[in-house]
Amino acid sequence: MNSDRIIALLKKEFLLEFRQKTSLASILLYVLSTVFIFFLSFKSNIKPDAWGILLWIVLFFAAINAASKSFFTEGKARSLYNYTLYHPTEFVISKILYNILLLALVALCSVLCFAWLVSYPVQNSLLFFITIITGIIALASSLTLMSCIASKTGNNYSIMSLLSMPVCIPVLLLCLRLTRNAIDGLDWSVSYKYITGLCLIDVLIIGLSLFLFKYLWRE
Amino acid sequence: MKHFWWKLISVILILGSIIMGFLGEVPRLNILNETIRNLYFHVPLWFAMLVQMGVSCFFSLKYLSSYKLKNDLTASCAAYVGGMFALPGLITGSIWATYTWGKPWVADDPKMQGVMAAMIVYMVYYLLRALIPDMQTKARISAVYNIFAFCMTFVFIMIYPRLAPSSLHPGNGGNPAFGKYDMDNSMRAVFYPACVGWILMSFWLLNILNRYKKLQYKLEHHENLE
Amino acid sequence: MKIWNNFNTNKILFLGFIFFTAPSTFAQQAVPQMADTFRAEGKIYVVVSVLSVVFLCLAAYLVIIDRKLKKLEDQHKK
Repeated sequence: MNSDRIIALLKKEFLLEFRQKTSLASILLYVLSTVFIFFLSFKSNIKPDAWGILLWIVLFFAAINAASKSFFTEGKARSLYNYTLYHPTEFVISKILYNILLLALVALCSVLCFAWLVSYPVQNSLLFFITIITGIIALASSLTLMSCIASKTGNNYSIMSLLSMPVCIPVLLLCLRLTRNAIDGLDWSVSYKYITGLCLIDVLIIGLSLFLFKYLWRE
Repeated sequence: MKHFWWKLISVILILGSIIMGFLGEVPRLNILNETIRNLYFHVPLWFAMLVQMGVSCFFSLKYLSSYKLKNDLTASCAAYVGGMFALPGLITGSIWATYTWGKPWVADDPKMQGVMAAMIVYMVYYLLRALIPDMQTKARISAVYNIFAFCMTFVFIMIYPRLAPSSLHPGNGGNPAFGKYDMDNSMRAVFYPACVGWILMSFWLLNILNRYKKLQYKLEHHENLE
Repeated sequence: MKIWNNFNTNKILFLGFIFFTAPSTFAQQAVPQMADTFRAEGKIYVVVSVLSVVFLCLAAYLVIIDRKLKKLEDQHKK
Protein backbone atom coordinates (compact mmCIF):
# COMPACT_ATOMS: atom_id res chain seq x y z
CA MET A 1 0.00 0.00 0.00
CA ASN A 2 1.63 3.12 -1.25
CA SER A 3 0.24 6.58 -1.96
CA ASP A 4 2.66 7.17 -4.86
CA ARG A 5 1.30 4.16 -6.66
CA ILE A 6 -2.26 5.27 -6.04
CA ILE A 7 -1.47 8.63 -7.58
CA ALA A 8 0.24 6.93 -10.49
CA LEU A 9 -2.82 4.77 -11.07
CA LEU A 10 -5.05 7.82 -10.89
CA LYS A 11 -2.90 9.60 -13.44
CA LYS A 12 -3.15 6.59 -15.72
CA GLU A 13 -6.94 6.61 -15.44
CA PHE A 14 -7.18 10.30 -16.30
CA LEU A 15 -4.75 9.94 -19.15
CA LEU A 16 -6.86 7.13 -20.58
CA GLU A 17 -10.01 9.17 -20.10
CA PHE A 18 -8.66 12.22 -21.89
CA ARG A 19 -7.06 10.22 -24.65
CA GLN A 20 -10.46 8.85 -25.67
CA LYS A 21 -12.77 11.76 -24.89
CA THR A 22 -15.82 10.05 -26.30
CA SER A 23 -16.83 8.26 -23.10
CA LEU A 24 -16.85 11.39 -20.93
CA ALA A 25 -18.51 13.35 -23.72
CA SER A 26 -21.22 10.72 -24.10
CA ILE A 27 -22.06 10.91 -20.39
CA LEU A 28 -22.23 14.70 -20.46
CA LEU A 29 -24.33 14.57 -23.60
CA TYR A 30 -26.67 12.13 -21.87
CA VAL A 31 -27.06 14.58 -18.97
CA LEU A 32 -27.66 17.52 -21.27
CA SER A 33 -30.23 15.76 -23.43
CA THR A 34 -32.12 14.36 -20.44
CA VAL A 35 -32.29 17.76 -18.78
CA PHE A 36 -33.43 19.27 -22.08
CA ILE A 37 -36.26 16.70 -22.23
CA PHE A 38 -37.22 17.68 -18.67
CA PHE A 39 -37.28 21.32 -19.72
CA LEU A 40 -39.44 20.55 -22.74
CA SER A 41 -41.93 18.61 -20.65
CA PHE A 42 -42.02 20.84 -17.56
CA LYS A 43 -41.45 24.28 -19.16
CA SER A 44 -39.55 25.53 -16.09
CA ASN A 45 -42.59 25.47 -13.79
CA ILE A 46 -41.29 22.33 -12.18
CA LYS A 47 -42.13 21.62 -8.54
CA PRO A 48 -39.16 21.73 -6.13
CA ASP A 49 -39.79 18.13 -4.99
CA ALA A 50 -39.74 16.86 -8.53
CA TRP A 51 -36.60 18.90 -9.23
CA GLY A 52 -34.64 16.98 -6.58
CA ILE A 53 -35.97 13.62 -7.70
CA LEU A 54 -35.18 14.25 -11.35
CA LEU A 55 -31.70 15.51 -10.51
CA TRP A 56 -30.90 12.33 -8.59
CA ILE A 57 -32.36 10.09 -11.28
CA VAL A 58 -30.17 11.77 -13.89
CA LEU A 59 -27.16 11.57 -11.56
CA PHE A 60 -27.75 7.92 -10.69
CA PHE A 61 -27.98 6.69 -14.26
CA ALA A 62 -25.10 8.88 -15.39
CA ALA A 63 -23.11 7.42 -12.50
CA ILE A 64 -23.94 3.87 -13.57
CA ASN A 65 -22.82 4.72 -17.11
CA ALA A 66 -19.63 6.33 -15.90
CA ALA A 67 -18.68 3.71 -13.32
CA SER A 68 -19.47 0.69 -15.45
CA LYS A 69 -16.53 1.57 -17.67
CA SER A 70 -14.01 1.29 -14.87
CA PHE A 71 -13.58 -2.45 -15.32
CA PHE A 72 -15.05 -3.24 -18.73
CA THR A 73 -12.25 -1.43 -20.52
CA GLU A 74 -9.61 -3.58 -18.88
CA GLY A 75 -8.73 -6.56 -20.97
CA LYS A 76 -7.52 -9.89 -19.63
CA ALA A 77 -3.89 -9.14 -20.39
CA ARG A 78 -3.88 -5.77 -18.71
CA SER A 79 -5.58 -7.07 -15.58
CA LEU A 80 -2.96 -9.81 -15.33
CA TYR A 81 -0.31 -7.10 -15.59
CA ASN A 82 -2.06 -5.16 -12.82
CA TYR A 83 -2.17 -8.21 -10.54
CA THR A 84 1.57 -8.50 -10.64
CA LEU A 85 2.20 -4.80 -10.04
CA TYR A 86 -0.32 -3.54 -7.52
CA HIS A 87 -1.83 -4.40 -4.21
CA PRO A 88 -5.65 -4.81 -4.52
CA THR A 89 -6.29 -2.10 -1.92
CA GLU A 90 -4.22 0.44 -3.87
CA PHE A 91 -6.00 -0.54 -7.01
CA VAL A 92 -9.50 -0.20 -5.60
CA ILE A 93 -8.70 3.07 -3.82
CA SER A 94 -7.48 4.57 -7.07
CA LYS A 95 -10.58 3.35 -8.87
CA ILE A 96 -12.89 4.75 -6.21
CA LEU A 97 -11.08 8.11 -6.16
CA TYR A 98 -11.22 8.29 -9.92
CA ASN A 99 -14.93 7.49 -9.93
CA ILE A 100 -15.59 10.08 -7.21
CA LEU A 101 -13.85 12.76 -9.26
CA LEU A 102 -15.63 11.68 -12.43
CA LEU A 103 -19.01 11.68 -10.72
CA ALA A 104 -18.30 15.07 -9.15
CA LEU A 105 -17.72 16.41 -12.64
CA VAL A 106 -20.93 14.78 -13.87
CA ALA A 107 -22.84 16.16 -10.88
CA LEU A 108 -21.48 19.66 -11.45
CA CYS A 109 -22.51 19.51 -15.09
CA SER A 110 -25.98 18.22 -14.34
CA VAL A 111 -26.62 20.87 -11.67
CA LEU A 112 -25.41 23.52 -14.12
CA CYS A 113 -27.66 22.09 -16.82
CA PHE A 114 -30.63 22.09 -14.45
CA ALA A 115 -29.89 25.65 -13.33
CA TRP A 116 -29.47 26.82 -16.90
CA LEU A 117 -32.38 25.06 -18.58
CA VAL A 118 -34.90 24.33 -15.83
CA SER A 119 -34.42 26.19 -12.55
CA TYR A 120 -32.33 26.31 -9.40
CA PRO A 121 -34.78 26.28 -6.47
CA VAL A 122 -32.22 25.37 -3.76
CA GLN A 123 -32.29 27.72 -0.78
CA ASN A 124 -29.57 26.14 1.33
CA SER A 125 -26.73 25.68 -1.14
CA LEU A 126 -24.16 24.51 1.41
CA LEU A 127 -26.38 21.65 2.56
CA PHE A 128 -27.06 20.81 -1.08
CA PHE A 129 -23.33 20.73 -1.78
CA ILE A 130 -22.64 18.46 1.23
CA THR A 131 -25.46 16.15 0.12
CA ILE A 132 -24.08 15.87 -3.40
CA ILE A 133 -20.54 15.17 -2.16
CA THR A 134 -21.49 12.51 0.41
CA GLY A 135 -23.98 10.95 -1.96
CA ILE A 136 -21.40 10.78 -4.73
CA ILE A 137 -18.82 9.15 -2.45
CA ALA A 138 -21.33 6.42 -1.56
CA LEU A 139 -22.46 5.94 -5.16
CA ALA A 140 -18.92 5.89 -6.56
CA SER A 141 -17.59 3.34 -4.10
CA SER A 142 -20.54 0.96 -4.36
CA LEU A 143 -20.69 1.28 -8.15
CA THR A 144 -16.97 0.51 -8.41
CA LEU A 145 -17.50 -2.81 -6.63
CA MET A 146 -20.63 -3.55 -8.65
CA SER A 147 -18.91 -2.83 -11.95
CA CYS A 148 -16.14 -5.23 -10.97
CA ILE A 149 -18.78 -7.90 -10.23
CA ALA A 150 -20.60 -7.13 -13.47
CA SER A 151 -17.41 -7.38 -15.48
CA LYS A 152 -16.91 -10.93 -14.14
CA THR A 153 -20.24 -12.06 -15.56
CA GLY A 154 -18.96 -11.84 -19.10
CA ASN A 155 -19.26 -8.14 -19.86
CA ASN A 156 -22.98 -7.92 -19.47
CA TYR A 157 -23.88 -4.23 -19.36
CA SER A 158 -27.49 -4.74 -18.32
CA ILE A 159 -26.51 -6.66 -15.20
CA MET A 160 -24.63 -3.58 -13.96
CA SER A 161 -27.72 -1.43 -13.40
CA LEU A 162 -29.58 -4.45 -12.05
CA LEU A 163 -26.85 -5.13 -9.50
CA SER A 164 -26.44 -1.57 -8.32
CA MET A 165 -30.08 -0.50 -8.21
CA PRO A 166 -31.14 -2.29 -5.01
CA VAL A 167 -27.92 -1.64 -3.09
CA CYS A 168 -28.05 2.07 -3.91
CA ILE A 169 -31.66 2.62 -2.85
CA PRO A 170 -30.88 3.56 0.79
CA VAL A 171 -28.24 6.06 -0.35
CA LEU A 172 -30.59 7.57 -2.91
CA LEU A 173 -33.45 7.85 -0.42
CA LEU A 174 -31.30 9.66 2.13
CA CYS A 175 -29.94 11.96 -0.59
CA LEU A 176 -33.46 12.75 -1.80
CA ARG A 177 -34.58 13.62 1.73
CA LEU A 178 -31.56 15.88 2.25
CA THR A 179 -32.00 17.53 -1.13
CA ARG A 180 -35.61 18.29 -0.27
CA ASN A 181 -34.49 19.84 3.01
CA ALA A 182 -31.94 21.93 1.11
CA ILE A 183 -34.53 23.05 -1.42
CA ASP A 184 -37.01 24.02 1.29
CA GLY A 185 -34.24 25.75 3.23
CA LEU A 186 -35.07 23.91 6.43
CA ASP A 187 -33.12 24.42 9.62
CA TRP A 188 -29.81 22.53 9.90
CA SER A 189 -30.99 20.70 13.02
CA VAL A 190 -33.52 18.80 10.90
CA SER A 191 -30.83 17.51 8.57
CA TYR A 192 -28.10 16.50 11.03
CA LYS A 193 -29.27 12.94 11.56
CA TYR A 194 -29.57 12.32 7.83
CA ILE A 195 -26.09 13.70 7.19
CA THR A 196 -24.71 11.46 9.95
CA GLY A 197 -26.58 8.49 8.48
CA LEU A 198 -25.23 9.20 5.01
CA CYS A 199 -21.67 9.57 6.33
CA LEU A 200 -22.01 6.26 8.19
CA ILE A 201 -23.22 4.59 4.99
CA ASP A 202 -20.21 6.13 3.17
CA VAL A 203 -17.82 4.65 5.71
CA LEU A 204 -19.59 1.28 5.59
CA ILE A 205 -19.53 1.09 1.79
CA ILE A 206 -15.90 2.15 1.49
CA GLY A 207 -14.89 -0.30 4.20
CA LEU A 208 -16.79 -3.13 2.51
CA SER A 209 -15.29 -2.29 -0.89
CA LEU A 210 -11.76 -2.32 0.49
CA PHE A 211 -12.41 -5.59 2.31
CA LEU A 212 -14.24 -7.38 -0.50
CA PHE A 213 -12.25 -6.24 -3.52
CA LYS A 214 -9.27 -8.49 -2.89
CA TYR A 215 -11.55 -11.52 -3.21
CA LEU A 216 -12.93 -10.28 -6.50
CA TRP A 217 -10.05 -9.35 -8.67
CA ARG A 218 -7.85 -12.42 -8.76
CA GLU A 219 -8.93 -15.15 -11.10
CA MET B 1 -32.62 -39.07 14.04
CA LYS B 2 -30.27 -38.04 16.80
CA HIS B 3 -30.79 -34.36 16.01
CA PHE B 4 -34.52 -34.67 16.08
CA TRP B 5 -35.18 -32.74 19.27
CA TRP B 6 -34.93 -29.19 17.85
CA LYS B 7 -37.21 -30.06 14.97
CA LEU B 8 -39.72 -31.34 17.51
CA ILE B 9 -39.35 -28.15 19.55
CA SER B 10 -40.00 -26.09 16.42
CA VAL B 11 -43.21 -28.01 15.67
CA ILE B 12 -44.39 -27.79 19.29
CA LEU B 13 -43.71 -24.04 19.50
CA ILE B 14 -45.49 -23.26 16.23
CA LEU B 15 -48.41 -25.50 17.17
CA GLY B 16 -48.55 -23.72 20.53
CA SER B 17 -48.59 -20.35 18.77
CA ILE B 18 -51.46 -21.50 16.55
CA ILE B 19 -53.52 -22.69 19.52
CA MET B 20 -52.71 -19.89 21.95
CA GLY B 21 -52.67 -17.33 19.16
CA PHE B 22 -56.38 -17.87 18.67
CA LEU B 23 -57.45 -18.70 22.20
CA GLY B 24 -55.24 -16.31 24.17
CA GLU B 25 -56.16 -12.89 25.45
CA VAL B 26 -55.22 -9.91 23.28
CA PRO B 27 -55.57 -6.21 23.98
CA ARG B 28 -58.68 -4.59 22.53
CA LEU B 29 -57.51 -2.00 20.02
CA ASN B 30 -59.23 0.16 17.48
CA ILE B 31 -58.69 -0.56 13.79
CA LEU B 32 -56.59 -3.63 14.57
CA ASN B 33 -59.35 -5.47 16.45
CA GLU B 34 -58.83 -9.23 16.12
CA THR B 35 -56.23 -8.79 13.39
CA ILE B 36 -53.66 -8.11 16.08
CA ARG B 37 -53.36 -11.89 16.19
CA ASN B 38 -51.60 -11.65 12.83
CA LEU B 39 -48.61 -10.55 14.87
CA TYR B 40 -48.07 -14.19 15.85
CA PHE B 41 -48.03 -15.40 12.26
CA HIS B 42 -46.78 -12.54 10.12
CA VAL B 43 -43.90 -11.10 12.13
CA PRO B 44 -42.09 -14.41 12.85
CA LEU B 45 -41.78 -14.90 9.09
CA TRP B 46 -39.69 -11.74 8.96
CA PHE B 47 -37.55 -12.86 11.85
CA ALA B 48 -36.95 -16.19 10.13
CA MET B 49 -36.11 -14.37 6.89
CA LEU B 50 -33.63 -12.04 8.59
CA VAL B 51 -31.96 -14.94 10.41
CA GLN B 52 -31.64 -16.93 7.18
CA MET B 53 -30.15 -13.96 5.35
CA GLY B 54 -27.70 -13.53 8.22
CA VAL B 55 -26.82 -17.23 7.95
CA SER B 56 -26.35 -16.79 4.21
CA CYS B 57 -24.00 -13.84 4.76
CA PHE B 58 -22.08 -15.79 7.43
CA PHE B 59 -21.50 -18.74 5.12
CA SER B 60 -20.44 -16.41 2.30
CA LEU B 61 -17.81 -14.97 4.63
CA LYS B 62 -16.80 -18.50 5.57
CA TYR B 63 -16.48 -19.38 1.90
CA LEU B 64 -14.23 -16.40 1.20
CA SER B 65 -11.94 -17.39 4.04
CA SER B 66 -11.73 -21.08 3.11
CA TYR B 67 -12.77 -21.41 -0.58
CA LYS B 68 -14.72 -24.56 0.23
CA LEU B 69 -17.67 -25.01 -2.12
CA LYS B 70 -19.87 -26.56 0.55
CA ASN B 71 -19.97 -23.22 2.38
CA ASP B 72 -21.12 -21.48 -0.77
CA LEU B 73 -23.80 -24.15 -1.20
CA THR B 74 -25.08 -23.50 2.31
CA ALA B 75 -25.05 -19.75 1.67
CA SER B 76 -27.14 -20.10 -1.47
CA CYS B 77 -29.55 -22.53 0.24
CA ALA B 78 -30.01 -20.10 3.14
CA ALA B 79 -30.72 -17.31 0.68
CA TYR B 80 -33.36 -19.50 -0.97
CA VAL B 81 -35.00 -20.39 2.35
CA GLY B 82 -34.92 -16.70 3.35
CA GLY B 83 -36.65 -15.84 0.10
CA MET B 84 -39.22 -18.56 0.71
CA PHE B 85 -40.05 -16.90 4.04
CA ALA B 86 -39.96 -13.37 2.61
CA LEU B 87 -42.58 -14.12 -0.04
CA PRO B 88 -45.41 -15.17 2.34
CA GLY B 89 -44.25 -12.40 4.67
CA LEU B 90 -44.75 -9.86 1.91
CA ILE B 91 -48.13 -11.27 0.87
CA THR B 92 -49.51 -11.58 4.41
CA GLY B 93 -48.22 -8.10 5.20
CA SER B 94 -50.02 -6.76 2.15
CA ILE B 95 -53.28 -8.46 3.15
CA TRP B 96 -53.02 -7.17 6.69
CA ALA B 97 -52.19 -3.65 5.48
CA THR B 98 -55.24 -3.62 3.19
CA TYR B 99 -57.56 -3.92 6.19
CA THR B 100 -55.69 -1.82 8.74
CA TRP B 101 -53.81 0.84 6.78
CA GLY B 102 -56.33 0.98 3.95
CA LYS B 103 -54.02 0.05 1.09
CA PRO B 104 -52.04 -3.04 0.15
CA TRP B 105 -48.91 -0.99 -0.41
CA VAL B 106 -48.33 2.09 1.69
CA ALA B 107 -46.00 4.81 0.47
CA ASP B 108 -45.18 6.31 3.86
CA ASP B 109 -43.73 3.20 5.36
CA PRO B 110 -39.96 2.81 4.94
CA LYS B 111 -39.98 -0.73 6.34
CA MET B 112 -42.12 -2.02 3.49
CA GLN B 113 -39.90 -0.37 0.91
CA GLY B 114 -36.87 -1.81 2.69
CA VAL B 115 -38.26 -5.30 2.57
CA MET B 116 -39.12 -4.92 -1.11
CA ALA B 117 -35.55 -3.78 -1.76
CA ALA B 118 -34.30 -6.84 0.15
CA MET B 119 -36.42 -9.10 -2.03
CA ILE B 120 -35.02 -7.47 -5.18
CA VAL B 121 -31.48 -7.83 -3.84
CA TYR B 122 -31.89 -11.55 -3.31
CA MET B 123 -33.55 -12.04 -6.69
CA VAL B 124 -30.53 -10.32 -8.25
CA TYR B 125 -28.34 -12.66 -6.20
CA TYR B 126 -30.07 -15.72 -7.71
CA LEU B 127 -29.79 -14.14 -11.17
CA LEU B 128 -26.09 -13.51 -10.68
CA ARG B 129 -25.60 -17.13 -9.67
CA ALA B 130 -27.44 -18.27 -12.76
CA LEU B 131 -25.30 -16.09 -15.04
CA ILE B 132 -21.86 -17.45 -14.10
CA PRO B 133 -21.26 -21.02 -15.25
CA ASP B 134 -17.99 -21.83 -13.48
CA MET B 135 -18.56 -23.16 -9.94
CA GLN B 136 -15.64 -21.47 -8.19
CA THR B 137 -16.07 -18.10 -9.91
CA LYS B 138 -19.79 -18.22 -9.24
CA ALA B 139 -19.17 -18.95 -5.59
CA ARG B 140 -16.61 -16.17 -5.20
CA ILE B 141 -18.52 -13.43 -7.04
CA SER B 142 -21.87 -14.23 -5.51
CA ALA B 143 -20.32 -14.40 -2.03
CA VAL B 144 -18.95 -10.89 -2.46
CA TYR B 145 -22.28 -9.60 -3.73
CA ASN B 146 -24.11 -11.40 -0.94
CA ILE B 147 -22.03 -9.79 1.81
CA PHE B 148 -22.32 -6.34 0.26
CA ALA B 149 -26.04 -6.70 -0.35
CA PHE B 150 -26.68 -8.05 3.15
CA CYS B 151 -24.99 -5.03 4.71
CA MET B 152 -26.93 -2.59 2.53
CA THR B 153 -30.20 -4.41 3.19
CA PHE B 154 -29.46 -4.37 6.89
CA VAL B 155 -28.89 -0.61 6.69
CA PHE B 156 -32.14 -0.26 4.81
CA ILE B 157 -34.31 -2.42 7.06
CA MET B 158 -32.79 -1.60 10.43
CA ILE B 159 -31.35 1.90 10.25
CA TYR B 160 -33.22 3.82 7.58
CA PRO B 161 -36.68 3.35 9.16
CA ARG B 162 -35.35 4.92 12.35
CA LEU B 163 -34.21 7.96 10.42
CA ALA B 164 -37.36 8.35 8.37
CA PRO B 165 -39.89 10.82 9.74
CA SER B 166 -42.96 8.66 9.37
CA SER B 167 -43.62 4.98 9.62
CA LEU B 168 -46.74 2.95 10.17
CA HIS B 169 -44.78 0.04 11.54
CA PRO B 170 -44.37 -0.16 15.29
CA GLY B 171 -41.36 1.07 17.14
CA ASN B 172 -40.03 3.73 14.80
CA GLY B 173 -40.75 7.16 13.43
CA GLY B 174 -42.59 8.20 16.57
CA ASN B 175 -45.44 5.81 15.94
CA PRO B 176 -46.59 4.08 19.12
CA ALA B 177 -48.48 1.21 17.41
CA PHE B 178 -47.25 -2.06 18.87
CA GLY B 179 -44.29 -0.67 20.76
CA LYS B 180 -46.60 -0.08 23.68
CA TYR B 181 -48.91 -3.03 23.19
CA ASP B 182 -46.07 -5.49 22.83
CA MET B 183 -45.60 -4.91 26.52
CA ASP B 184 -48.75 -6.92 27.06
CA ASN B 185 -47.31 -9.98 28.75
CA SER B 186 -49.91 -12.48 27.56
CA MET B 187 -49.06 -11.56 23.98
CA ARG B 188 -45.35 -11.74 24.60
CA ALA B 189 -45.73 -15.25 25.96
CA VAL B 190 -47.11 -16.33 22.59
CA PHE B 191 -45.11 -14.06 20.29
CA TYR B 192 -41.54 -14.90 21.35
CA PRO B 193 -42.01 -18.70 21.31
CA ALA B 194 -43.63 -18.34 17.87
CA CYS B 195 -40.55 -16.47 16.62
CA VAL B 196 -38.22 -19.12 18.01
CA GLY B 197 -40.40 -21.85 16.49
CA TRP B 198 -40.40 -20.32 13.02
CA ILE B 199 -36.67 -19.61 13.13
CA LEU B 200 -36.02 -23.26 14.07
CA MET B 201 -38.38 -24.29 11.27
CA SER B 202 -36.36 -22.21 8.80
CA PHE B 203 -33.22 -24.00 9.97
CA TRP B 204 -34.94 -27.33 9.44
CA LEU B 205 -35.83 -26.36 5.86
CA LEU B 206 -32.27 -25.14 5.32
CA ASN B 207 -30.97 -28.46 6.62
CA ILE B 208 -33.16 -30.46 4.24
CA LEU B 209 -32.40 -28.27 1.21
CA ASN B 210 -28.68 -28.29 1.96
CA ARG B 211 -28.54 -32.09 2.31
CA TYR B 212 -30.54 -32.50 -0.89
CA LYS B 213 -28.16 -30.23 -2.82
CA LYS B 214 -25.11 -32.02 -1.45
CA LEU B 215 -26.56 -35.38 -2.43
CA GLN B 216 -27.36 -34.03 -5.88
CA TYR B 217 -23.78 -32.83 -6.27
CA LYS B 218 -22.50 -36.22 -5.16
CA LEU B 219 -24.66 -38.07 -7.67
CA GLU B 220 -23.64 -35.75 -10.50
CA HIS B 221 -19.91 -35.57 -9.83
CA HIS B 222 -19.37 -38.94 -8.10
CA GLU B 223 -17.46 -37.32 -5.28
CA ASN B 224 -18.17 -35.58 -2.03
CA LEU B 225 -18.57 -31.83 -2.05
CA GLU B 226 -15.58 -30.18 -0.43
CA MET C 1 -95.10 17.72 45.25
CA LYS C 2 -92.95 15.40 47.15
CA ILE C 3 -92.83 13.05 44.25
CA TRP C 4 -92.05 15.91 41.90
CA ASN C 5 -89.29 17.01 44.19
CA ASN C 6 -88.00 13.52 44.39
CA PHE C 7 -88.05 13.25 40.63
CA ASN C 8 -86.14 16.46 40.34
CA THR C 9 -83.48 15.33 42.75
CA ASN C 10 -83.26 12.10 40.86
CA LYS C 11 -82.91 14.00 37.65
CA ILE C 12 -80.15 16.14 39.04
CA LEU C 13 -78.47 13.12 40.48
CA PHE C 14 -78.81 11.40 37.13
CA LEU C 15 -77.34 14.37 35.28
CA GLY C 16 -74.52 14.54 37.77
CA PHE C 17 -73.97 10.83 37.34
CA ILE C 18 -73.75 11.22 33.58
CA PHE C 19 -71.51 14.24 33.91
CA PHE C 20 -69.01 12.48 36.13
CA THR C 21 -69.07 9.13 34.47
CA ALA C 22 -69.25 10.37 30.91
CA PRO C 23 -65.60 9.84 30.13
CA SER C 24 -65.71 6.25 31.30
CA THR C 25 -68.98 5.44 29.50
CA PHE C 26 -67.63 6.97 26.32
CA ALA C 27 -64.52 4.91 26.75
CA GLN C 28 -66.72 1.86 27.15
CA GLN C 29 -68.55 2.69 23.95
CA ALA C 30 -65.21 3.13 22.21
CA VAL C 31 -64.09 -0.37 23.18
CA PRO C 32 -63.11 -1.92 19.86
CA GLN C 33 -65.28 -4.71 18.61
CA MET C 34 -63.85 -8.17 18.90
CA ALA C 35 -65.27 -11.48 17.78
CA ASP C 36 -66.71 -12.15 21.22
CA THR C 37 -69.84 -14.03 20.15
CA PHE C 38 -67.79 -16.21 17.86
CA ARG C 39 -65.64 -17.09 20.85
CA ALA C 40 -68.60 -17.54 23.18
CA GLU C 41 -70.22 -20.03 20.84
CA GLY C 42 -67.07 -22.10 21.02
CA LYS C 43 -66.64 -22.09 17.26
CA ILE C 44 -63.09 -20.82 17.70
CA TYR C 45 -62.10 -24.32 18.80
CA VAL C 46 -63.15 -25.60 15.39
CA VAL C 47 -60.84 -23.14 13.67
CA VAL C 48 -57.97 -23.91 16.01
CA SER C 49 -58.34 -27.66 15.59
CA VAL C 50 -58.50 -27.40 11.80
CA LEU C 51 -55.40 -25.23 11.64
CA SER C 52 -53.55 -27.50 14.07
CA VAL C 53 -54.35 -30.55 11.98
CA VAL C 54 -53.23 -28.80 8.79
CA PHE C 55 -49.97 -27.72 10.39
CA LEU C 56 -49.32 -31.12 11.97
CA CYS C 57 -49.86 -32.85 8.64
CA LEU C 58 -47.36 -30.53 6.97
CA ALA C 59 -44.88 -31.09 9.79
CA ALA C 60 -45.35 -34.86 9.51
CA TYR C 61 -44.74 -34.64 5.78
CA LEU C 62 -41.56 -32.69 6.47
CA VAL C 63 -40.44 -35.45 8.83
CA ILE C 64 -41.13 -38.05 6.15
CA ILE C 65 -39.10 -36.09 3.58
CA ASP C 66 -36.32 -35.76 6.12
CA ARG C 67 -36.25 -39.53 6.71
CA LYS C 68 -36.37 -40.33 2.99
CA LEU C 69 -33.42 -38.03 2.43
CA LYS C 70 -31.58 -39.70 5.29
CA LYS C 71 -32.18 -43.11 3.73
CA LEU C 72 -30.89 -41.88 0.38
CA GLU C 73 -27.83 -40.35 2.00
CA ASP C 74 -27.05 -43.63 3.73
CA GLN C 75 -27.42 -45.52 0.45
CA HIS C 76 -24.86 -43.32 -1.27
CA LYS C 77 -22.42 -43.13 1.59
CA LYS C 78 -20.30 -46.06 0.32
